[in-house]
Order: sequence, then structure tokens, then C-alpha cells
Amino acid sequence: MAISVVMPALELTQETGKLLAWRKKEGEEVTKGEPLLEVETDKAAVEIEAPADGILAGVKAGEGDVIPVGQTIAWIVKPGEEPPKEAAPAGSSRGTTTEAARPAENMATASPAAGAGAAAARISPKARRLAKEHGVDIARLQGSGPGGEILASDVLAAAEGKAPAAAPAAAPKAAAGTLEPLTSIGRLMAERMTQSWTSVPHFFVTREVDAGPLNAAREKRLAVAEQSGGARPTHTDLLVALVARTLRKHPRLNATWTAEGVRLNPDVNIGIAIAVNDGVIAAVIPNADKATIAEIARQRRELADRAKSGHSRPADITGATFTISNLGMYGVDAFTAIITPPQAAILAVSSIVDRVVPVDGAPGIRPIMSMTLSCDHRVFDGARAALFLSDLAEAIARPEETLG
Amino acid sequence: MSTHEVVTREITFAEAIREALAEEMRRDSRVCILGEDVAEAGTPFKVLSGLVEEFGTGRVIDTPISEAGFTGLGVGAAMTGIRPVVDIMFGDFITLTMDQMVNQAAKIHYMSGGRWKVPMVMRTTLGAARRSAAQHSQSLHAWFSHVPGLKVVLPSTPYDAKGLLKEAIRHENPVVFFEDKMMYKMKGPVPAEDYTIPLGVADVKRAGEDITFVATSSMVQVALGAADLLAEIGISAEVVDPRTTWPLDEQTIVESVKKTSRAVVLDEGYERYGVTAELAALIAERAFYDLDGPVRRMGAMHVPIPFSPPLEDATIPTPQKLFELAREMCGRS
Repeated sequence: MAISVVMPALELTQETGKLLAWRKKEGEEVTKGEPLLEVETDKAAVEIEAPADGILAGVKAGEGDVIPVGQTIAWIVKPGEEPPKEAAPAGSSRGTTTEAARPAENMATASPAAGAGAAAARISPKARRLAKEHGVDIARLQGSGPGGEILASDVLAAAEGKAPAAAPAAAPKAAAGTLEPLTSIGRLMAERMTQSWTSVPHFFVTREVDAGPLNAAREKRLAVAEQSGGARPTHTDLLVALVARTLRKHPRLNATWTAEGVRLNPDVNIGIAIAVNDGVIAAVIPNADKATIAEIARQRRELADRAKSGHSRPADITGATFTISNLGMYGVDAFTAIITPPQAAILAVSSIVDRVVPVDGAPGIRPIMSMTLSCDHRVFDGARAALFLSDLAEAIARPEETLG
Repeated sequence: MSTHEVVTREITFAEAIREALAEEMRRDSRVCILGEDVAEAGTPFKVLSGLVEEFGTGRVIDTPISEAGFTGLGVGAAMTGIRPVVDIMFGDFITLTMDQMVNQAAKIHYMSGGRWKVPMVMRTTLGAARRSAAQHSQSLHAWFSHVPGLKVVLPSTPYDAKGLLKEAIRHENPVVFFEDKMMYKMKGPVPAEDYTIPLGVADVKRAGEDITFVATSSMVQVALGAADLLAEIGISAEVVDPRTTWPLDEQTIVESVKKTSRAVVLDEGYERYGVTAELAALIAERAFYDLDGPVRRMGAMHVPIPFSPPLEDATIPTPQKLFELAREMCGRS
């Protein structure tokens, strides 16, 4: 039986994926698990593996096409078998490449890509009529309906020239200045940060710590890494390990707000904010509370390499339960970060600076690091946040006890 | 509509019904009332109090508990020139009158080539929330609306009740008149002068721009309540009351939806195969290219109406539920 290859949904908010490249040609033999195509999701470029053994057939999407999540783009058939004529509904693709594929009715509605998205865009009858009457190209519209449908107001706004066309290519004449088209990472960053900032009640708790013991712990492991040829551990790597272990004692900070209640996440997966060309992505160290510094350093280096070359894998960027954003290398004194839903907190880490502070009752110079925790007040309160920071400060003061 | 005239006199819905009956009985000696407990036994919901005293037991006639029997009596009397108003205390009991209404009253004028008429009115009730349980709480007006030859009236204010009942009594063929039991104590402006409201003319109970609520009978107040809530968040809702499910003023409904582009249809009958389905289909057929989203419906939950007060209340649309739906439809959720 033919098995469909569909545009995968790798993120809850993802509506479309851009097909970057086929790794196999039509008619070529494929083996389950080998790279079949490369997709640019809202977050990163990822390689998608073949869902089955067979022959690649019925390829419907070309390189550069933007395709609604869940849509069949090709088939894997047995030798001599013809691919089905009609695209099967997304539901039939379960167990293939897209475990996360959503039902067709929830699919992307207003694809920004001219042509590709037009047929899939849902549009109200009135909007369709108005678009015809006003000569508005609906493929260029972004719907504002409850499910992303194109509504009459969207068409009228476009007809009056108010609506910015969603497709970057369709905006040739900016009135003043140069319009920098959004990349998928840029657009997603804007959407998710707006969603978080406008729907998550943030509050912030700051604490300064003496980073001396942290520096010492890092020096010790740096020496080991140099001898063994392993990845050089960074301050971030140590913080990942210390934060993850501290989170075990504070499950409420490793949690998710839902309408039904606060869900405590069983695993501690730490996201590390990594700057890439056109935005920021959060690479994930799974089960960081159990990983050694050497393991974290090696994983972090691999994740960063793939992210910077645009070859992140789906698992690289999903499943974080808590994020650390470290801007220390830029000489930042302190900053606040926006929480990445569905996480409940993010820790913003500044640079380590020598400061004059009281040491045993006398002025002394110590390397001070400031940390600011952004908290979702629906999930936990200021006292819990303070207790967590207190325990984290303790762990940073005695890293070897925590790291064991 | 003349609802918007300045009328200083206010009376209850029950008083409006009583006035309509009394005035028509004074006006036309052929008008009479028959039903269970309508005369000396006390009158259902106290709507008819005082009528037997004025008109006597020859024109306000207590019947045995036999809805099929006295409805048939009414049909036959109407065929001979009497203008009976048949009182069916609870709308749930119309099931017993179906053959008389559907196969006899509705058909006589047609099957006699127009030589016979059946100028009768059946007055009955609809609506839940009286803690009367499953056999005394239904809203079955869709059953009669389904049958050619019957006209169905659903007044929602004292003014409409009086004007429509007088029109129904003067009508030459059968009219079924449904009153919401919960509305009898509702007060509203009603002029003292004689007036009637033609069947098949809808009334815009509240003008608005963003969304249309097409609501019947008990649901008109729900729609007006939701419209008040919506006004507070800047959404302007229009409330259209068809007043009769047949004949139906399609034009007023369609024009309203063409103006607002969004519609919710409310009716206390069951949604499935009911009044809301019919009205939603009308809007889909005649205003499709003006719709900015699917037509939505609210009606009684598809269950026998529970006796338990919290459960009974959960089966009926409320202003809050309609407010939430409309807010979502207008993209403000």
C-alpha cells in the first residue's frame, strides 16, 4: 500500500512548511529512516526521514513551495505500484512522517505563498465575493478570522491598500525605507513573543551571585576537556546542569499552564537560547538534570553547529520545559527575557563582572553575575520564585556538591 | 412597527392576552373559548380570569380532559361559522391534537376547493424553566410550522401578544398561537386603542451593525440581554423577531444578515430539524454571499427537559452563552 509523505507539523503553531530540497528523486528507491527531504519550518531547517521503504512517487511539491502542514506532498510505493490519484486526507498519514499532523480542517488557512496557499485558504463567502468585486488577490491575504479565515474586513482593507501583503515578494514598493522581509524564524519569533507577552502575566525576580566557585568549577572541567579532547564546557553548560538539578526540587517552575490546571512536566529539558542569523532559536538539552557537564557541553556544541548551519533536527528544538538565555558574552549587566510558552519561566543571565562587594566585613573584589527569572504568575508566585533562586544561588556557591 | 410609538400604559403579557380575547369576544359574538379549566375551574396560568364572568359559560366552555376531543369540537365548530379559541394548557399536549390539526383543520380549506374555512385559533404554551419536568416543558411549535395549512404565531412582548392574537382570531383559517409560560408576568407598553399586527411581518426589536440575532418568543429576551452585554464591549447586535414562523418574513431576516454579515438563530425548540435549522437554511440560501462566517444556532439541548433545576437551566440558551458565542464570532474572544 502506498504511504503518504506529508508536510510535517513540528511545532504547535506551525501552519506551513517550506520545502527546501528533495534528497531523493522521483522514482528513486528510498530506505526507511534515510533523509528524504529538507523542510524549513517556522523555526529552522530540518531533515525529514523517509517513513518507509519503497520508491518515491507522485511528487506533488517542488523545491521552494510553501505547503500547509498535513498536506500530502509525495508517496512511497512498492515497485510497480501507482501512487493514489487523489491526495488522501491528512488523517490517513498517521504513522508516517507526521505524528503531529493536524486534521485537514485545522490546516493552514492563509498561506503566504502566492499560488500554493490560495487553494487551501479558507475564506468567507462574503469575502470571496468582495475580493472578486474589488479585484483583490486572495492568495496575498492573511486571514483574521477565529481560525485564520479570510474575512470581508481583510479583503476591504486590502482593497483600500491598507493591508500589507503577507508574501514578502509581493511588497515591492515600500513608501519609505527598505522593507526587510520576514524570514520564517523572524515571523514566528514575532508571533510567539507577542502571544506570550500579551497573554502570560510576567513578573521578574533578580538575584546577584558570586560567580567565583562557578569559574573555578569551569576551569577544572576545561582542563579535563583539553586533556580528553572533549567539548570545552562554557558557563552556560554549567548553569544548565545546576539549573536543571535545582528544578528537580522546584517542579512548579518546570511546569505548564493549562486551562484545566498546572501540569508538572516529568522531565527537565533545558532550552538554551542560541542566536542564529535571522533570530534566536532555543536548542534543547533533554533530561539535563541527569546529564554530566561533559555530555551537556558535547550536546550543546552539536546543537549550536546544526542551528547555525540551518540543519536543526525536529528534536533539537522541541520539548524544552525551561529556558536559559545567557547574554553574558555581550557585556550585559542585567536583562529580562520573555517566557516561551508553554514553559512557565526563563532565566536571563548577565556577564560576570568584578565588583567591590563586602567580603567578610571588608570591601573585596568578587566576580558578580546577575540573574533575572521571568515567571508566569498563573503557575507560581514570587515566594516560590525567590526560593528557587535562593536554591540556585546555593548550588552556584557550591557547584561541586550539586554536580557530584 | 408601532412598538416604537410612545405608549405610556403598561400591562402584563397575560393581561394583553386577556384583553385581546375580551375585545374580540365583544366585537364578534361568534368568538368563544373552549378548553380545560378555562371557566369556573380557575383558568390556566390565570390568563383568562374574569372572562367567564363577563361572557358566561355559553361562550367560555370548560371541557373534559380530552385534547383530541375538544380540538375536534373546535375544528367542527369553526367549519360551521363559530370562531373558537381552543386552549391547550401545556404545549406538550398538542401531541394529542395532531390528527385534528394536521389532517383536518389544516386540510379542509384546500380539500374543499376553498368552500370551507376553519377560522379557529389554538392557544397553547411553550418554554422550560418552570420546574415542570419533561412532559410539561417542551417547545413543540416546529411541529405545526412543518404543516402547510397552519399558521404559527410566537409573540415575545405584551404588545405583540395582543395585536397578533386579535389578528389570529379574525383570521379565516387555523392559527396556532404559542405563549411562553415564563413571560406571562412580563410588563410592556400596550396601547388601549384597538390594533392588530399582520401575520408574517417580523419586528426588529433592536437595531445593530455587527451581528444579527434572529430570535423567537422566549429567546427574544435572551437576545436582547446578550445585545446589552455586547454593547459594553463595543459590539452592536441587531435582534430580529420573526413573530410568526409561518408565514415567515424572509425579507427582514435576510436584509438584516446582509447588513451585519453574521447571524445566530435562537429558538427554544430543539435545534435538530427545528425552527433554528429552517431559519439558518433560509439565511444560507438567501444571504450566502454576504456571510462572513457560518450561521450559528442556539436552542434547547437535545434531551428531555430535566426536572432538576440546575440541569433544566443548562438546557436553555442564556444571554451569557449567546454573548460568548457572538464575541467569538466577532473576533473579540
